[in-house]
Amino acid sequence: MKELNELNLPTNVKYDADHEWVSPGAPCRIGISDFAQDALGDLTFVEMPEVGAELTKGEEFGTLESTKSVSPLMSPVDGKVTAVNEALSDDPGLVNRDPYGEGWIVEVELKNTAQIDTLMDAAAYKAHVEKESAEH
Amino acid sequence: MSNLSKTVLNGVHAAMGGTLVDFGGWEMPLWYPSGAVKEHLAVVTGAGLFDTSHMTVILAEGAGVRAFLNYAVTKDIGSLAIGRAGYGIILDEKGEAVDDCIVYPLNEERFALVVNAGMGAVVIEHMKKVTGGDKLAWTDLTGKLAKIDLQGPAAFKILKPLVAGADEVFAKFPYFSFKGDFDMAKTAIKLTDGTPLLLSRTGYTGELGFEIFLPVEKAEEFWGKVLEAGKDYGLIPCGLAARDSLRAGAVLPLSHQDIGHWPFINNPWPWALPFDAEGKFTKNFMGREALNAATADHTLPFVGFDPRKVDAHESKVVYDDQEIGTILTVVADMAIGRVEGKVVGLSSPDKPEGFNPKGLVCGFIKVDRKLEPGTVVFLKDARRQLKVEICEDIRPGRTARAKLV
Repeated sequence: MKELNELNLPTNVKYDADHEWVSPGAPCRIGISDFAQDALGDLTFVEMPEVGAELTKGEEFGTLESTKSVSPLMSPVDGKVTAVNEALSDDPGLVNRDPYGEGWIVEVELKNTAQIDTLMDAAAYKAHVEKESAEH
Repeated sequence: MSNLSKTVLNGVHAAMGGTLVDFGGWEMPLWYPSGAVKEHLAVVTGAGLFDTSHMTVILAEGAGVRAFLNYAVTKDIGSLAIGRAGYGIILDEKGEAVDDCIVYPLNEERFALVVNAGMGAVVIEHMKKVTGGDKLAWTDLTGKLAKIDLQGPAAFKILKPLVAGADEVFAKFPYFSFKGDFDMAKTAIKLTDGTPLLLSRTGYTGELGFEIFLPVEKAEEFWGKVLEAGKDYGLIPCGLAARDSLRAGAVLPLSHQDIGHWPFINNPWPWALPFDAEGKFTKNFMGREALNAATADHTLPFVGFDPRKVDAHESKVVYDDQEIGTILTVVADMAIGRVEGKVVGLSSPDKPEGFNPKGLVCGFIKVDRKLEPGTVVFLKDARRQLKVEICEDIRPGRTARAKLV
């Protein structure tokens, strides 16, 4: 498991408490954080919504699977899916290797762009991870 | 995790970047930075190294130990030769599994049992209550020996140069046999540097390999030496996640998950029971009457059509629109895939060129009826309903019984 100071937490995306990230701007992409991919381990399958699906903040929109577990993907925002990362069907390990780049999961059209401002920046997210790790 | 037990290699796992978790009260590596998928594939195509020192070695000594264990363990070990090992189940009078074990006859008055982590005291207490068990001397060797498993088709090539007198040691060494003794002062098997050990040609992955017992104080040095020797064979350290997916693909049970507090019968492990050719029991053993009378559920292996899984804790098995049972194990074996509908593995002789499997879901279900291989059932949780089929075997082309060459 990575130490806190080894985590890659870029400052050009926003984070939610369930460890997803959102990139501001259009298109707006959603993925999972370096902390999340490290904790889940090697992914073996990513189940993604259909293009056109409506996402609701705080609700499940897909799953991430390792050899042993199934974990929900929770939407950090409200919006409509405009694209899914088809490359993950062939190589779910992209999420592990490049969680903020080639390992993005969906692109969404936000219902309300101001919603992004309610998410955490990198510093606040790091503090959140620190607190969560300390509780375990 | 300071209250957890630690194996002698705990510091090595941490230094190698292992993700350490609580496994039955032991702090053990779940995977290393290479990840559970690469670790699983390494064992199928090259080799993997596992620290399993959390497992328990028990010595049973005294006159009549063979006859006693032949009653207390399901496997018919009445004629199990010294130097051969046998897999069996320790049942209670209800025919339910206390634990599974490998029996090692060392001489006619001295046998060893290898049981699961934390089971030493439980098994010894159980054994002492079985008629005659209190007349034997029982010793739990937990913490005295390290256990390191080298598993995978390259295991023999990696190990051979490290073992003194290797040509002779490995000359006749079939699957489920062992060389040496659990008493490290007595064992005749040594590394070239003099380190004493017991070599057991067994494992929990379905692949060719050895379970190696050695003095705890030599474990770290040996671990490093084997990794170095295996560099060119793709050897990597592997954690418990890979061990679990490998054993499921090899149709091997996890004690207390796939076998447990229900009668040990109607399952894919009839070779652990003393059946004769007509399906009758060859001997008397603890739990026999209960098994004869049991109208127990059926434990069946299954394999799916893609790597997706369900959450085993909340799921049901659905057949013919009825809920007929529960899921015991559900994992993804990443070394297999379907080619024109057929399950093919990375070690299958008939795999297509460039075969790059995406993995298949597999495991065990416990249901209220017998279903023939090929029967389609659905695994259902809150999220999805997954189509899988009952099968006889899961990962093809396994190497556990391969010749040592």
